[in-house]
Amino acid sequence: MLGFSNGSGGGGGVGAEDLAQFQSTMRAIELACSYIQINTNPAASEATILSLHQSPQPYKACRYILENSQVANARFQAAAAIREAAIREWSFLATDDKGGLISFCLGYAMQHANSLEGYVLSKVSSVAAQLMKRGWLEFTPAEKEVFFYQINQAILGSRGLDVQFIGINFLESLVSEFSPSTSSAMGLPREFHENCRKSLEQNFLKTFYRWAQDAALSVTNKIIESHSCVPEVKVCNATLRLMHQILNWEFRYSKGGTRASINVFSDGIRLGTASSRKTECVIVQPGASWCDVLLSSSHVGWLINLYSSLRQKFALEGYWPDCPVAVSARKLIVQLCSLAGEIFPSDNAQMREQHLLLLLSGVLPWIDPPDVISKEIEEGKSGSEMIDGCRALLSIGTVTTPVVFDRLLRSLRPFGTLTLLSMLMGEVVKVLMVNSTDEDTWSYETRDILLDTWTTLLASMDGSGGNAWLPPEGMHAAASVFSLIVESELKVASASATTTEDDADCLASVSAMDERLGSYALIARAAVDATIPFLAKHFSERVARLHQGRGTVDPTETLEEVYSLLLIIGHVLADEGEGETALVPDALQSHFVDVVEADKHPVVLLSSTIIKFAEQCLDAEMRSLIFSPRLMEAVIWFLARWSFTYLLLVEDCNLGSNQLQSLPSRACIFTFFNEHSQGKFVLDIIVRISVTSLMSYPGEKDLQELTCFQLLHALVQKRNICFHLLSLDSWRNLANAFANDKALFLLNGVSQRSLAQTLVLSAYGMRSSDASNQYVKDLMAHMTSSLVDLSNNSDLKNLAQQPDIIMLVSCVLERLRGAASATEPRTQRAIYEMGLSVMNPVLRLLEVYKHESAVIYLLLKFVVDWVDGQLSYLEAHETAVVINFCMSLLQIYSSHNIGKISVSLSSTLLNETKTEKYKDLRALLQLLSHLCSKDMVDFSSDSIEAQSTNISQVVYFGLHIITPLITLELLKYPKLCFDYFSLISHMLEVYPETLAQLNSDAFNHVLTTVDFGLHQQDVDIVTMCLRALKALASYHYKETNAGNSGLGSHAAGHTDPNGLFHEGILSRFLRKLLHFLLFEDYSPDLVSAAADALFPLILCEPNLYQGLGNELIEKQANPNFKTRLANALQVLTTSNQLSSSLDRLNYQRFRKNVNNFLIEVRGFLKTR
Amino acid sequence: MSDEEHHFESSDAGASKTYPQQAGNIRKGGHIVIKGRPCKVVEVSTSKTGKHGHAKCHFVAIDIFNSKKLEDIVPSSHNCDVPHVTRTDYQLIDISEDGFVSLLTDSGGTKDDLKLPTDDSLAALMKSGFEEGKDVVVSVMCSMGEEQICAVKEVGGGK
Repeated sequence: MLGFSNGSGGGGGVGAEDLAQFQSTMRAIELACSYIQINTNPAASEATILSLHQSPQPYKACRYILENSQVANARFQAAAAIREAAIREWSFLATDDKGGLISFCLGYAMQHANSLEGYVLSKVSSVAAQLMKRGWLEFTPAEKEVFFYQINQAILGSRGLDVQFIGINFLESLVSEFSPSTSSAMGLPREFHENCRKSLEQNFLKTFYRWAQDAALSVTNKIIESHSCVPEVKVCNATLRLMHQILNWEFRYSKGGTRASINVFSDGIRLGTASSRKTECVIVQPGASWCDVLLSSSHVGWLINLYSSLRQKFALEGYWPDCPVAVSARKLIVQLCSLAGEIFPSDNAQMREQHLLLLLSGVLPWIDPPDVISKEIEEGKSGSEMIDGCRALLSIGTVTTPVVFDRLLRSLRPFGTLTLLSMLMGEVVKVLMVNSTDEDTWSYETRDILLDTWTTLLASMDGSGGNAWLPPEGMHAAASVFSLIVESELKVASASATTTEDDADCLASVSAMDERLGSYALIARAAVDATIPFLAKHFSERVARLHQGRGTVDPTETLEEVYSLLLIIGHVLADEGEGETALVPDALQSHFVDVVEADKHPVVLLSSTIIKFAEQCLDAEMRSLIFSPRLMEAVIWFLARWSFTYLLLVEDCNLGSNQLQSLPSRACIFTFFNEHSQGKFVLDIIVRISVTSLMSYPGEKDLQELTCFQLLHALVQKRNICFHLLSLDSWRNLANAFANDKALFLLNGVSQRSLAQTLVLSAYGMRSSDASNQYVKDLMAHMTSSLVDLSNNSDLKNLAQQPDIIMLVSCVLERLRGAASATEPRTQRAIYEMGLSVMNPVLRLLEVYKHESAVIYLLLKFVVDWVDGQLSYLEAHETAVVINFCMSLLQIYSSHNIGKISVSLSSTLLNETKTEKYKDLRALLQLLSHLCSKDMVDFSSDSIEAQSTNISQVVYFGLHIITPLITLELLKYPKLCFDYFSLISHMLEVYPETLAQLNSDAFNHVLTTVDFGLHQQDVDIVTMCLRALKALASYHYKETNAGNSGLGSHAAGHTDPNGLFHEGILSRFLRKLLHFLLFEDYSPDLVSAAADALFPLILCEPNLYQGLGNELIEKQANPNFKTRLANALQVLTTSNQLSSSLDRLNYQRFRKNVNNFLIEVRGFLKTR
Repeated sequence: MSDEEHHFESSDAGASKTYPQQAGNIRKGGHIVIKGRPCKVVEVSTSKTGKHGHAKCHFVAIDIFNSKKLEDIVPSSHNCDVPHVTRTDYQLIDISEDGFVSLLTDSGGTKDDLKLPTDDSLAALMKSGFEEGKDVVVSVMCSMGEEQICAVKEVGGGK
């Protein structure tokens, strides 16, 4: 007996000897605690406390300390020690003692409920909660009943307010212990935690909520009636918190068991859902059984009343809008707004609306009338009611449709909820306009929440096909919000025109506001009839202002306004369309039903206005007056986005002419900018604007990058546009300038590369393949010949070091690389010949520039991209040429770099050198990977037999060069890591025999890195390592079965000179992989790949596998688990007619087996 | 050298010369002259003069000989001076008592005007390699009239 089972009884039956012992322990702990507090010798003090935690059965001593010590910290530590020891020794404790410990803790907390040291009490009750959970599955219902009777009594208030508070506090700890994301670790199987959670959710959670309600009801009257702060408030606050916590529970078992299986692969922590919204809104879905507690018991009414009476007391002492009880009450109200799911009977939509209406009526006084409230806040009132009110709207918006949302308010006010939303937004925007300094945070926060509400409402509509429009009043609301937003943005813009931004802001200049503008666009599209003309009006106004003030007035403010407008209009008219075909937004297609003439269509009008404005930059005088680099950036950005959506559209054949007629607005947009109408004309303007921005804005890097990457690149993405481009004089001028004009050699390197790529891609527009090839040849001839000339120069060595030559070589290499990366079947020939003609120069330059790492990198990258583009098309003899070239390249590179040590006094420069090495290495890895791929993707006409040996030799050689340079340190760079492992896995899959030929140092090095890779976080990397293992093991298995040596000595293991046996690599990995599968956290996506690797490993090392299995079984203490594990292991290798051949069918079967196996055993093997 | 066309000629003015290059084109890792010193650029950032002004480049660079940090701001369409930096490999033939080294030039002559590098590890490496009789190749960096040994490589050989 541990002295606990007799419940209370203050240390009765303790001998004098023990007493002395306890007293000295208590002294020691008290001393340690006070030392820690004054920070004297903390290590020793911690050791003292730790020894108490770790001592066997410290319960009596702890109890003594808890009951007798005057030092609060010592009591705290004693409680912690009870927890530690009891969790550790739980299985040895007698049943009575287990119960005894819990009731002691509970009893202690309640007895001392009025103590001042609240933290000790909450520690003690959390210890009770944890122990309760530990014994949850062992205790009989009757035993639990005893505890809960005690708790219930306490909560009902029969033992006073303090005890009531402790009871509620205990339940809070208990609920948080049972919720997977907040539970404490106990070293128990996941199954255990999951069962506890299920049991609590199904049998207790609702009861707890009821108790909280009862407790709250018991104190409500007191609070409402009194005129000052009463102690009941503390209890009331605790109940509200408990209710909030319970509703936050991730309900799982209410929905017919759809999600009831446990996720065995990762901890059940709730993952942050990937939403772009700034404010989180968790939907509460407790299931049908909660209806009586939450809905039919007038719970909401009570809560609303409570809060409104609290509001009236804000003037009194002890209450204010941000006092804890008010905050908790508001939180709960907001939470109840997001109630959804089966709790509302599906045949009773009215009930749901009533529920929301009731809440809305409670929330309304916080936010309505918006102008009055915002004025009060500006005069010093707290903004938290406003913020919470907007959150409530967001919650309601999340669980309803726009129509229902709007209707809610109509029974209370003469207008709908959308109008209220728009009024609120208007007020907030006004406040933001007045003080745009950052001091004031309520308006920013409110604006974000309101924007999210709009987005939520409108996005739900967007998905339903575009025909669902807002009610007319809602549209009006959206339109007025939008006009306010635009005005405020313009005001902010003109105000900020003269301030110079920080570098950080500048960097993100164009795409920074994207997210916010995206929300604005949604609002604008909800009321296009008003917003498009509105935008057009503003734009023309600003442009007119620019012209009027030309030369006399400083245009900066207006420029900034035009800049903002361009961004907003760009977002409204077109979606981003990254990686997919951008479509004209539905709202713009289907509205404007009465417009028949294309040139009267508001969207067409707006677009034309902007294009006409942009065209003026072609005039040098206008350019210097109006088109600043920053404005040009916006122009280019707009044109890129706009042309991707509207320019030269090819009408989808699926949509017959019927559909076009039924949607006249759509037809207008489609035909106006197509090839028969204005399309080609506009395209010409756009190309000329691009040329201007490249040639007439020297040194404006951002602008030029935008032009090359966004605008020009977007144009050549569409095949039909390429045809038109090649017929334009302006495009020919661009190509000509690219080949000959010095101005374009002054562009940034990446821009030149992109430009080369774009021009080569446009060759698709030639009518035949020959013509396309000729086009590319003409384009690049100048570059290749300049490289050839240079490399043939007799004084190359001296000449090459001159900065202007370095510059020239860099530019040419960037351009060649751009062209190489644009390889397509149609232009492949020309680009092959381009590469062929510079092969020798490249090798020469590699030699000459060995000290100029920037050039070396460009050389390598060019070769990488060229080989990547070409290899799959090449015939055998051409492949041989390329392979030999790569071989020489590798040899020259390694002769310069292996064993070289350079120093520098500056650590920055030294780091630079390391980074350069890293980049080179990546390029080499990519080169090798591309070479490997020849065997996988091959479009050439002859068979691969002729050159495959060649390739494996290069790769083998390359690996020799690269492995010594790769270190585990370097593999921490994610990109390098990815490239390296994709090469290794690829290599092993295609040429496993190459690896077997490596000497043992290199071989071990490769496998060390694979082992390292297995422990990476990145799923892709782990998958690649698993694929590598699979390849290795299956190669060995097949070879040995065929009587060959396979991996030979690498697999066999060896005894080192000291007599230690080192096991072979396959055994090592079998061990590791099993451990990985059974005990580590990983994504379920990896299971199949791991199974594929495990299968051949088991076949290679059957004996070891048996041994490991037995070991695992032996380790299990629980006989039930023992048999489960033994069976599972048995089934793993026998079920599904698994045989010992490595074919597809067997792999498939084994994958299934592994999946079942893991689901069966991970639940109890993996502990928490 | 004419500005109009490239005729790859080497100019005799040689190592001391600098070349003009547009500031916007000088990249991280490239060279630049700041306050009369040849430097390697370690950081380039661009900003604008006022919102609607022109871009300018902010360079942070490190003197390639004495490792001092220097900074400069230049409008990106203007020209900067870029130093001509050469690196030449020589075989090490002797290390004398007073810390000077003797190097073998391509043309077969010797070059005796350089000291051992101030960096201890590099100097130690040269000494040990030399004493073991290995073929030691050193790289000498030269720019704007200054020279320094900057790297060493043992080709092998030895006893």
